[in-house]
Amino acid sequence: MRKKLFTTFAIILLTGTVAIAKKEPALPTAKEAKQKTLSLVRVNVTGQPYDYFRPWQKKAPQSKRALGAVLSKGRVLVTADLVANQNYVELERAESGEKSAANVQVIDYEANLALLEPAEKNFLDGITPLDIATDTVVGDRLAAWQLEPTGALVATEGLVTTIQMTHYPVDVGQFLTYRVSISMQYRENSYTIPLVKNNKLAGLLLRYDSRAQLVDAIPAPIITHFLKDAGTEKYGGFPSAGFSFFPTRDPQLRTFAGQTGKPGGVYVTSVEPNMPAVKAGLQVGDIVTEIGHNWIDQNGNYVDPLYGKIELTNLLTAHAFAGDNVPFQVQRDGKSLEFNVTLEHRAAKNYVVAPYNLDQPPLYYVLGGVIFQELSRQYLKEWGANWQKEAPQRFVYLDRFQSELFPEGHRKVVVLSQVLPANATIGYDDLAYLVVKKVNGAEVKSLADLAEAVKHPIDGFIKIETEEDPKQIELEAAQVAAEAPALQENYGIPSLERLE
Amino acid sequence: MKYCYLPVLLVAFEVTQLQAQQNAPPPAFPVQPNASAKPSAAAPAIVAVPVPPPRPNGPIQKSLVRITSTEVEPDYRAPWNAGGLQRGIGAGFVIDGNRIMTNAHVVSNSRYLTVERDGDPNKYPAKVQFVANDCDLALITVDAPNFYKNMVPLKLGGIPELESTVSAYGYPIGGERMSVTTGIVSRIDFQLYTHSSIDSHLAIQISAQINPGNSGGPVMQNAKVVGVAFQGYSGDVAQGVAYMVPTPVIRRFLKDIEDGHYDKYVDLGITYSKLQNPAQRKFLGLKEDGRGVLVTTVVAAGPCAKILREGDVLLAINDHPIASDASVELEGEHVEMPEVVERKFKGDMVKFDIWRDKQPASVKIVLSTVWPYFVQGHSYDVRPRFVVYGGLLFQPMSLDLIEAYQPTDLRIRHYFDYFVLEQIYLEHPDVIVLTNILPDPINTFLAPYRGGIVDEINGKKIRTLDELAKTFSEPTERFVVKMIGDGPPLVLDPKQAEAARERIKTRYNVVREQNLQEQAVAKAAEDQKKM
Repeated sequence: MRKKLFTTFAIILLTGTVAIAKKEPALPTAKEAKQKTLSLVRVNVTGQPYDYFRPWQKKAPQSKRALGAVLSKGRVLVTADLVANQNYVELERAESGEKSAANVQVIDYEANLALLEPAEKNFLDGITPLDIATDTVVGDRLAAWQLEPTGALVATEGLVTTIQMTHYPVDVGQFLTYRVSISMQYRENSYTIPLVKNNKLAGLLLRYDSRAQLVDAIPAPIITHFLKDAGTEKYGGFPSAGFSFFPTRDPQLRTFAGQTGKPGGVYVTSVEPNMPAVKAGLQVGDIVTEIGHNWIDQNGNYVDPLYGKIELTNLLTAHAFAGDNVPFQVQRDGKSLEFNVTLEHRAAKNYVVAPYNLDQPPLYYVLGGVIFQELSRQYLKEWGANWQKEAPQRFVYLDRFQSELFPEGHRKVVVLSQVLPANATIGYDDLAYLVVKKVNGAEVKSLADLAEAVKHPIDGFIKIETEEDPKQIELEAAQVAAEAPALQENYGIPSLERLE
Repeated sequence: MKYCYLPVLLVAFEVTQLQAQQNAPPPAFPVQPNASAKPSAAAPAIVAVPVPPPRPNGPIQKSLVRITSTEVEPDYRAPWNAGGLQRGIGAGFVIDGNRIMTNAHVVSNSRYLTVERDGDPNKYPAKVQFVANDCDLALITVDAPNFYKNMVPLKLGGIPELESTVSAYGYPIGGERMSVTTGIVSRIDFQLYTHSSIDSHLAIQISAQINPGNSGGPVMQNAKVVGVAFQGYSGDVAQGVAYMVPTPVIRRFLKDIEDGHYDKYVDLGITYSKLQNPAQRKFLGLKEDGRGVLVTTVVAAGPCAKILREGDVLLAINDHPIASDASVELEGEHVEMPEVVERKFKGDMVKFDIWRDKQPASVKIVLSTVWPYFVQGHSYDVRPRFVVYGGLLFQPMSLDLIEAYQPTDLRIRHYFDYFVLEQIYLEHPDVIVLTNILPDPINTFLAPYRGGIVDEINGKKIRTLDELAKTFSEPTERFVVKMIGDGPPLVLDPKQAEAARERIKTRYNVVREQNLQEQAVAKAAEDQKKM
């Protein structure tokens, strides 16, 4: 079994940047630099991810050192992957080395943003907070701010080459991204690097390709969306409509779909169960021609006042909040229809295979040495950066095609992930990566279902049925109960189950 | 029969590619070099050993032949083409009845065969009599009346003892003189036969050096053939590990063809699991006697369908008790249960004593082949099946197709890997993949559909390539092709497709727009002659 990963992007940063120092144009004057330095704090994080191969324990602690952008009201903005699975967060003033513990106020793993607040209320006093510049367009120059060990500012300027929708690290939907061509030099473990335009925060580093010298940045519009949401009573998260689409460039597809008039719009290929699009009445085969009164072209783009053509999903993420009513103009069988789609945030737990699971312990159930877990992408990511090829292919398939394979939604996939050799599991020790169908005759659609079904043995036996060979295994309920303490002792398992 | 990949390199006979393939369409997937099509390093001149070593096996030169095969490798990426031409060299040996035994992989896909023998300057044209791709054996013969004169047929021996010494004879790395290597018998076990890459049979591992060109050569002990050298690992995986086809497999092949036809290995078409867990045994009501295996899958296309069920326990096969680790005692040896079936022929019967619902029962199975497995193995001497319509190339999934395109698409890989286990063949006997698109104005927007698996056309389920071809030939306003999964339908206008037909054929040199029959190439040639 392979281990490691999670911090792909930290590793890229750590090993990547070997750019040679160059003369930097447009370096700020000493006076400006001093002022700018004050808008950054160092953030020291010790994190401990959960070990999905031993779900009762955490992995060894890892420390990361990064920068945070100081915002108004004593808040510090960092990326979510910096503080995901954190045990301890500490802020450090760059110029004085003073430290304060900090709490994570709000975190959005999907948009990869988090807000920290110092435990000591006045810790950030005297630091000029950064304003946010949301008007960056292609062709603008942004400066990446880093700190020297001395606390002095290192600023590197780059050019915004593209603004487009891309996947963020947890890979839930797509978000607006700035791509910046920049030959950045690496200073310390700068995890969260602010990108600044005219002394205002324009973005936060999302990933850096040191070979191509390209930075992808979380752009200000996503940051302001996050901050606005964070200012509300309950953080809602970025919304989605829950449908997939396909361009209508092909005239034969347009004709088939009964489109008349001006060519444009996208063909709806699927609607997620229990999600806003299907609730509003959208169907597979519809052609969506307008969203929020923005015309959608054949490629699925609308014309953004700032960026020009950009993919329609931006209308549903950066420009809208959960709970918003967005009018959809749809063509169906040649007729125009309007639907009001009430957007929702889809929480990770509402997927059949959760796309991420951070800061929360994995669920598991150990029965006589047989380990059951709910299939999640977090589990699959234990196979490393290349998990889509390395992880059990059947599981990767179930994850990838989950909405097709489980159209009813509202369920989990319970898997037999491995077997710890014990008296009760003799002959079963080679079993691994099986999908559990039934336990004691009852369908299993969650780990809780399994735990409940285990309580009702058949004539003293617990019967587990799997999708794959061997199709069935049995354990003796009395033996499992009697040997449980020895199993825990032997393998150091503090508790044999975690169901929530 | 279980399907798995092993890092075994086929010790193909020496192969050189004669002619680069032409007119290949733009690749749909990254191409991997075809290992067996790669020419080996130039053969260094080998000097014959001047002093002959002790020859416990007699004058093998009088039995050994050098086989040169010119073969055509079908091109799955341009299936309308004849394919690439290759020449290979292997070994063979004369057995009784003026027959020459060699490996199937020496003569499969061959178009022209010649045979040479020691001390004779002539090259003799030869003919393939029987090919058994599933156990990598073949028989060829030479018509020339004088060829067998002075040739000494070799006799078959038994299974050599572990650690006993054997000698392998052949023409490794292209040499023209016989080469001998010796080694010991290292292991006797079931082994994947990479020529079909789906069959596992008994194989004997020997430590004698075996290299390309040894293939088909005899491995001798005490002047008798104890095996036919056939495969080994490439040097970077393991060294001193070579395999030979043992005599039980050879004898079975010779017996099978006695009726003039090779019927292939038969199979039960089931999977089973060991029954070593005491609780499971108790649950099933079995005694603590260490007997029985659990039936876990019954392939619907196999001989056990409707006779055995999931959950049955197999207690004995033909009255040989089956141990809970799936071994049976056969002639004093512990062997895997399938070994019993291995020795049977098509139409033979086996009897199982089973345990069903805590009651003993007995069933009889008439053995046959299980066709869905063949999709997961290599095919030889067949033309790839395909349909080109509107510049779209549709091909049924097979191991050869997968190897030609190396798709990374998860769905295609899943449909291939689980074709038998999830009984996908019941709904889609042919899993028809849109493997490539020959670009033309009529299909210029269809590139995203590449790699899709056809499910329905105009609402009708498409089960086979024939059905696909038939559907495309029927008049309709438009074809709406639904692919498996959540995706948009592919829409084609037949009028446009018809109008573009000649244009596409000419532009891409598509000499043939479809091949629906996987008929043997030789037979196809015969049919053509008759016409």
